[in-house]
Amino acid sequence: MNLPALSFAYLRARPLATALNLLLLALGIATITLLLLATAQLEERMTRDARGFDMVAGAKGSPMQLVLSAIYHLDAPTGNIPLAAAQALARSPAVKKSIPLALGDSYRGFRIVGTNHDYPAHYGAVLAAGALWKEPMEVVLGAQVAAQTRLGVGASFKGAHGLSEGGDAHDEDDFKVVGVLAPTGSVLDRVVLTSIESVWEIHEHGKPPAGGREITALLIQYATPLAAATLPRQVNANSALQAASPAYESARLFRMIGVGADVLRVFGLVLVLVAGLSVFIALLNALEDRRYDLAVMRMLGASRAKLMGLLLLEGAVLSLLGGIAGILLGHLLAEALGAALQAAQQPAVTGWAWQARELWLLALAVGVGLAAALLPAWRAYRTEVAPVLAQG
Amino acid sequence: MLRLTGLRQRYGAREVLALRHFEAAAGDHWLVLGASGSGKTTLLNLLAGLLRPSEGTVEVGGQSLGALGGAALDRWRGRNIGIVPQKLHLVSSLTVLQNLMLAPYLAGLPADRKRAEMLLGELSLKEQLRARPGELSHGQAQRVAIARAVMNRPKLLLADEPTSNLDDANCTLALSLLEEQAGECGATLVVATHDNRAKARLEKCIEL
Repeated sequence: MNLPALSFAYLRARPLATALNLLLLALGIATITLLLLATAQLEERMTRDARGFDMVAGAKGSPMQLVLSAIYHLDAPTGNIPLAAAQALARSPAVKKSIPLALGDSYRGFRIVGTNHDYPAHYGAVLAAGALWKEPMEVVLGAQVAAQTRLGVGASFKGAHGLSEGGDAHDEDDFKVVGVLAPTGSVLDRVVLTSIESVWEIHEHGKPPAGGREITALLIQYATPLAAATLPRQVNANSALQAASPAYESARLFRMIGVGADVLRVFGLVLVLVAGLSVFIALLNALEDRRYDLAVMRMLGASRAKLMGLLLLEGAVLSLLGGIAGILLGHLLAEALGAALQAAQQPAVTGWAWQARELWLLALAVGVGLAAALLPAWRAYRTEVAPVLAQG
Repeated sequence: MLRLTGLRQRYGAREVLALRHFEAAAGDHWLVLGASGSGKTTLLNLLAGLLRPSEGTVEVGGQSLGALGGAALDRWRGRNIGIVPQKLHLVSSLTVLQNLMLAPYLAGLPADRKRAEMLLGELSLKEQLRARPGELSHGQAQRVAIARAVMNRPKLLLADEPTSNLDDANCTLALSLLEEQAGECGATLVVATHDNRAKARLEKCIEL
């Protein structure tokens, strides 16, 4: 027999009230946990995807759209740019590294990205099977693409017009899978890689366009920090191209997402506070039911401080259990959200990653539980034994 | 063993108890008889240190209760005084066995499961070891309350109206159980009641 055993016995004796209080607290903590996991993982993933690229050059339009389409493969491109203009930019002394991208087709919702071998090398990609493409119409699949399409080395497929599922198929040309990448945890996992020549071959039908060949975007790494100040301005002012900064546009995107996330976070906090209020009401009502129990405990030798500790412990136990259940529920929801996002070929989140900040959530839950138990505990402390026993 | 001197208890201007002198030896069995409102429960509360007397002193086993305060008094009571309250007040969320184990825990004594099981066996409650108070008959609950009161081998055993609402047979049974258990602990037994049937059982009596 000890105080925790007494607390558990009391909570067990009222399963419905205990379960409802736990549920309320768990829902609040789960909401905040889910937000914490989703925003942290998406931010981390987007930072990883953009790492090493200082600038994206593409067709004029929305700079955020350009970054979303060329770095994260999420949005439609702003258009195409002349190959000659891209090559001229790549030769600039301000550019250390440049990677061309040609987009336009997809396979079962996964984008087919025409590029060169520098692109997988940039993300440190390793082949799980086969080899990188050598000839036009040879492709290498990202890990998620291979898993979801069940295609392997040696398989062939027809690409479809457009970047989303449901586009018209290119009947005449088959892509041949020559390699599959191991998971990288980056955007490469959900794209199909091939040479730029493959993309030209499909769309030109043997006749190069009169205006010259085009690509969709050029991913650029600056040669010097000074280039950050000069190159984008130069590109925007003196060419038909547009320069966009992945770091700046990602930060802008997160500021916009952040408003929504903040609203949800406040909602989660309100849920936790409502749960605290519920624990408070439950403990206060229970105090009325338990006056005799508490008086008997004093009669048997318990000090006032021990009774106060018992009530505080009950608040803490309830909120700790609610906090743990909430965090587990939050991870479960994150895993479910991750599965849904993966099915939609979006950057996925996982419930298997843990954030150090979740410990603060647990502390928040216990703090709310203790605060809710404070007044009932004080009233238990002040209880006079003799009148209560006489009333019983 | 038990000595009361110049004891008076007042609630505001109203005096509810006045007892000039009273002494009881270890092992004595006393009956405190009086009508409702005569101050019987107040006297038991004073003996248990649950109330502070307005005047006078209470000594149990040489210990003046007035000299103890706060947690020390609570602990001393838990170790030296067993109480069977009128409404029994078993802790509803605990099993019968846990109700008994509560007594040493709250008094700061080591757990003694063997004694708890032995007491429950003596009082024919072995089958009810894991039952909750709500599942017991009144007679069973009363026996559990008696077992809990003697769990810590008290020097003084107090019982408040233990025979109320009992028929003659159960009245005799309740009193004999109290006497037996007090005898086993060598405790002084004080039974407060308005029930004249108890007179036949307990030889020493004070009337309020």
